[in-house]
Amino acid sequence: MIDWLTATDHKRIGKLYIFATLTFFVIASVLALVIRAQLARPLNTLVGPEAYNQIFTLHGTAMIFFVIAPFGLGLANFLVPLQIGAPDMAFPRLNATSFWLFALGGIVMFCGLAAYGGAAANGWTSYAPLSEIVEGTGGGTDLWILGILLASISTILTAINLTTTIFLFRAPGMTMWRIPIFSWEIVATSVLILMAFPSLAAVLLLLLVDRHLGGHFFDAAAGGNPILYQHLFWFFGHPEVYVMILPYFGIITEIVATFSRKPVYGYVGLVIAAFAIAGLSIGVWAHHMFTTGAVNNPFFSAVSLLIAVPTGVKFVNWIGTMWKGSLELSTPMLFAIGFMLNFLIGGITGVILASPPLDYDLHDSYFVVHHFHYTLGGGSMFALFAALFFWFPKIYGVRLNERLGRWCFGLMYVGFNVTFLPMALMGIEGMPRRVYTYPDVGHLALLNGVASAGSVVLAAGVALFFVNILVSALARAPVPDNPWNGYSLEWVTASPPPEYNFVTLPAISSRRPAWDAMQPQGDVS
Amino acid sequence: MKTFVGLFVSSGIFGLVIAVAYFIVAHREATGTVLLGCMTAALAFAAGFALLAERDAHLDGDDEALESAAVAGEDLGVFTTATPLPIIVAFGVALGLLGLLYSPLLAVGSTVLLVWCLWRLGSQSARV
Repeated sequence: MIDWLTATDHKRIGKLYIFATLTFFVIASVLALVIRAQLARPLNTLVGPEAYNQIFTLHGTAMIFFVIAPFGLGLANFLVPLQIGAPDMAFPRLNATSFWLFALGGIVMFCGLAAYGGAAANGWTSYAPLSEIVEGTGGGTDLWILGILLASISTILTAINLTTTIFLFRAPGMTMWRIPIFSWEIVATSVLILMAFPSLAAVLLLLLVDRHLGGHFFDAAAGGNPILYQHLFWFFGHPEVYVMILPYFGIITEIVATFSRKPVYGYVGLVIAAFAIAGLSIGVWAHHMFTTGAVNNPFFSAVSLLIAVPTGVKFVNWIGTMWKGSLELSTPMLFAIGFMLNFLIGGITGVILASPPLDYDLHDSYFVVHHFHYTLGGGSMFALFAALFFWFPKIYGVRLNERLGRWCFGLMYVGFNVTFLPMALMGIEGMPRRVYTYPDVGHLALLNGVASAGSVVLAAGVALFFVNILVSALARAPVPDNPWNGYSLEWVTASPPPEYNFVTLPAISSRRPAWDAMQPQGDVS
Repeated sequence: MKTFVGLFVSSGIFGLVIAVAYFIVAHREATGTVLLGCMTAALAFAAGFALLAERDAHLDGDDEALESAAVAGEDLGVFTTATPLPIIVAFGVALGLLGLLYSPLLAVGSTVLLVWCLWRLGSQSARV
């Protein structure tokens, strides 16, 4: 136990991130099931409006700040030094500090449940002036702010650490244009974090000043401006969406290339596309504010639509990598294909919402819930599971059961689509998001019933994943160092890797050092 | 370092272009222009630092032909394997922030703890 509390080794920190994010994931998933149970029938009274507001706030916040984004960075903690041939992260103690700040942030936020007045209930955006109300809201909102503040400090420190490690700690021969795409995506993510997250820290501090020190930054009655809150929040908030997707793009690229038995198609294009997405994402924050009437809609619409171009480039590259490849449909590859299909739907609905005339109609409706769950749930979450199945042997020295894995994928894919596809229709029928109940009009009862049934199937798939871990850990079948015939450097070392990662480093003369090492001498291409 | 410099210079130029474009298109809207301006300044600082302070840096990782055997025995410094200081720092920050809201005594105590931790970390680094 003490070993884990005092660990600074990047592999242990990575494992701690994975454990913590999966724990928060289970909690947030249970909250999601309560939401779906409440909405299964019209005019249901399973939970009241106050409790419902707290539940969807904690669900959204936990998934965004304590599951999807930190899992990508936590996995990077484990993988990046291995992929670039480094013995550890550049700043091991800072790395450990980042993890504990993140973990404490999550604990502080969930402590709001025990606070007088209950947990925060303002949604994950915590918009002012709603979040400025102190009286009657108890300490939940304050604990929410502090928790997110701790998580944002942690994320900034992690970004500094990862960027420094990748630029300065590469092994001899591992030039920047040879590092795996996952590591490149982490560079783009880290730069994005360094640009966007200070804005979040600033807006949270200003909110605290307004709530407790008599400030009026967002108080219109006293000359403040609530729109300023939205500007500062979304200057962080939209890049955050890409912080939650870019590492997962990297994961998908690695998996698609490995299971297609081909080099990555369009390596340079993928890197440029990652930075184009990161750059453009900085300039689209106010597309969340079209309906305020206080922003320049044409500018933000145009830049938002432009993001579809580099994202499309990535799809072309993944398909190009699979094209005429020797495809092996193992569980990680199934999740990767599921990611592509789901994310495509999320991307297309994003283009719809980037058009102000359509957004005016669909804003704050269930169509938006449908859209972001397809990008972050069907997208990032499927990639998260793909990563777990793919790198589990390397991280823990145990290969997950393939048959259970396929069942897990099947249940999750069907469950996810049955849950979230009807939400597009709910939105078009006019059902607003963040309401604890709804009248029995139109097809809302049917659509919500189907969505709730789907959530049970989805939950069964997730539960099967944890059963798989248990079954595989008990079976303890011997696993080779490179069970998938992976091509990047982490597959050269032992599973799990030794202290300082490599006993000896192989010669690095291409983008596929592990593949090179498997070839007979003189046959390296 | 060439890639590092290229990345930050091109990002800085992109930031400048989008800040100017936003300033013009959004009819001189102040909030967004300031945010984009700050971002551009940060990227320009990173690029400037790389260009001026690190222009002569030589990294083994940038050498395409270099093999790890050629640098065997090179001193990479000391990597800390275990220390309780990071978790204490994290608790110090969390308790300090909670103290700001709920208990000045807790805030002061946490600040003292943080100063002690930073001093210990500094002295450990100095020994390395």
